[in-house]
Amino acid sequence: MTGAPGSISIQKGDGAVTRATGSPMIEVLDLRKFYGDFEALKGISFTVGKGEIVGFLGPNGAGKTTTMKILTGFISATSGRFAVAGHDGFQESLELRRAIGYLPENAPMYPDMGVVEYLEFVAEIRKIPSSKRRARIFKMVELVGLGPMIRKNIGELSKGYRQRVGLAQAMIHEPPVLILDEPTSGLDPNQIVEIRRLIKDLGREHTIILSTHNLPEVQATCSRMIIISGGRKVADGTADQLEREGRQSSRFVLTARLPAGSEPYQVRTQLGALAGVTSAEEVGHGDGAHRFTISTSGSETELTESIFALAVREGWALRELRRDVVDLEQIFHRLTQY
Amino acid sequence: MGTIWAIGKREFASFFNSPVAYLAICLFLFAIGAMFFWWEDFIDQGQTTMRTFFEWVPWLFIFLLPAISMRLVAEEKRTGSFEMLITMPIRDAELLLGKLLGASLFLVVTLVLTLAYPLVINQYGSLDLGPVLGGYIGLFFVGLAFLSLGLLASTWTKNQIVAFLLGAVLCAFFFGLHKFVGVFSPGLRDTVAVLSLSDHFETFAKGVIDTRGLIYCLSITILSVLIGTYSLESRRWSR
Repeated sequence: MTGAPGSISIQKGDGAVTRATGSPMIEVLDLRKFYGDFEALKGISFTVGKGEIVGFLGPNGAGKTTTMKILTGFISATSGRFAVAGHDGFQESLELRRAIGYLPENAPMYPDMGVVEYLEFVAEIRKIPSSKRRARIFKMVELVGLGPMIRKNIGELSKGYRQRVGLAQAMIHEPPVLILDEPTSGLDPNQIVEIRRLIKDLGREHTIILSTHNLPEVQATCSRMIIISGGRKVADGTADQLEREGRQSSRFVLTARLPAGSEPYQVRTQLGALAGVTSAEEVGHGDGAHRFTISTSGSETELTESIFALAVREGWALRELRRDVVDLEQIFHRLTQY
Repeated sequence: MGTIWAIGKREFASFFNSPVAYLAICLFLFAIGAMFFWWEDFIDQGQTTMRTFFEWVPWLFIFLLPAISMRLVAEEKRTGSFEMLITMPIRDAELLLGKLLGASLFLVVTLVLTLAYPLVINQYGSLDLGPVLGGYIGLFFVGLAFLSLGLLASTWTKNQIVAFLLGAVLCAFFFGLHKFVGVFSPGLRDTVAVLSLSDHFETFAKGVIDTRGLIYCLSITILSVLIGTYSLESRRWSR
């Protein structure tokens, strides 16, 4: 099913990193989508290599679902190109859809059908030979933990079990690529853990894109994340890489009791004069001490030393000097503000 | 072919989970029964014939069949299962043909349920089988054309009621075309009659299987599926 690698050449856009391990299973180039006058996607490009689990992250309305609907052939892009498993999205839509297992948001399925009946229907459409159908259905039922529910109608299932039926139908034909739109939405915490484990296991054999607006989910399941915001890709890389990049502009917090005659504005100026410091602010005082935040541009680790040296020289009684840890949450927040 | 059969089978089975389908078929059978029992001329024409039955059933079909076909695509669009279906490897034409197949199987069931009438009539004098057979074949093809028009209407909306009304209007239009035109311009009546299903159906009701009539019904069916395919594809067009 693997097509000619590099059938679309991907440019590195807006300085973001595009890296794919192995042969690309999903290639997207400058995808744009208008809904009437509203530009939902403003030119998105990325590649996903074989065996990667990529988390699509972004606030509501960022364009995650739109991108997935285009990749699965449900709606068309206004411009741009994409290919899945080597099949061009415009020329070979049928082959492309064969290579994909798709779980749309909220897993919309026929409520009046039985669980097994529905999986049989999908297996038939997916052209699984009738001799193998039963075995495959029960393999899926076991895999997603639907056992207790197989005699029920889909309409009678709870949200969590419906989501599992959705996952089962997406994987029943063992597609090389799985596209899952918010696979854990509406599940309870135990189910979330289970589904995440399942997705991780699946990632060994499948290439997976999953969307979420939940950051821990990406950290728990994905090998890489793509953050989109306002229809643009704003970041692309592993959690570690993003954290490292985010740290490049970091913040220090300094709390000190100032000697008599020393005014906070003087301290601010002195801190601001240090090499690598972009700004220094007083953020509060109490208990005889003042607290400052110091923003820096580079990743100068030696800045801690120069701040310390300054404090000693000026006679500030240091109570706290620390680097403010920038976590993914904050990076995400900063990247997706607009 | 396998795909069409899979979709048709599923669709047919789901009719039996739908109260609307049962209700429609009950009303239909009740209407025929009412005519049969209370309208003396319906059978009592001094001869054993099903002529009046075959003349009236297509008019009832104008309301029955759009009620059967209205949900075919509209309901999937409303609940979102359409997204699941359309992202599977199914050609748009296969999807519509599958839906039409499911609805036609339901039509066959409906027609089989009306077989009680020829059986009863046959008790009172031997019924000429030829015209009855011809009439049923005609009913099936007219029904197929109506279902395809209803299916087309169903691809245009998420709302089943809108699909039903549009479907009924389309069926009535094609069925009584020359009658409407005749009101406004009597000269055109005969020219337009060729395009009118009811005119063709009159020959079916007489027991003559008229190839032109069959071809006309099939043309409406094929054209509806083609236009329907086109409407489904338009979803994939840019902007």
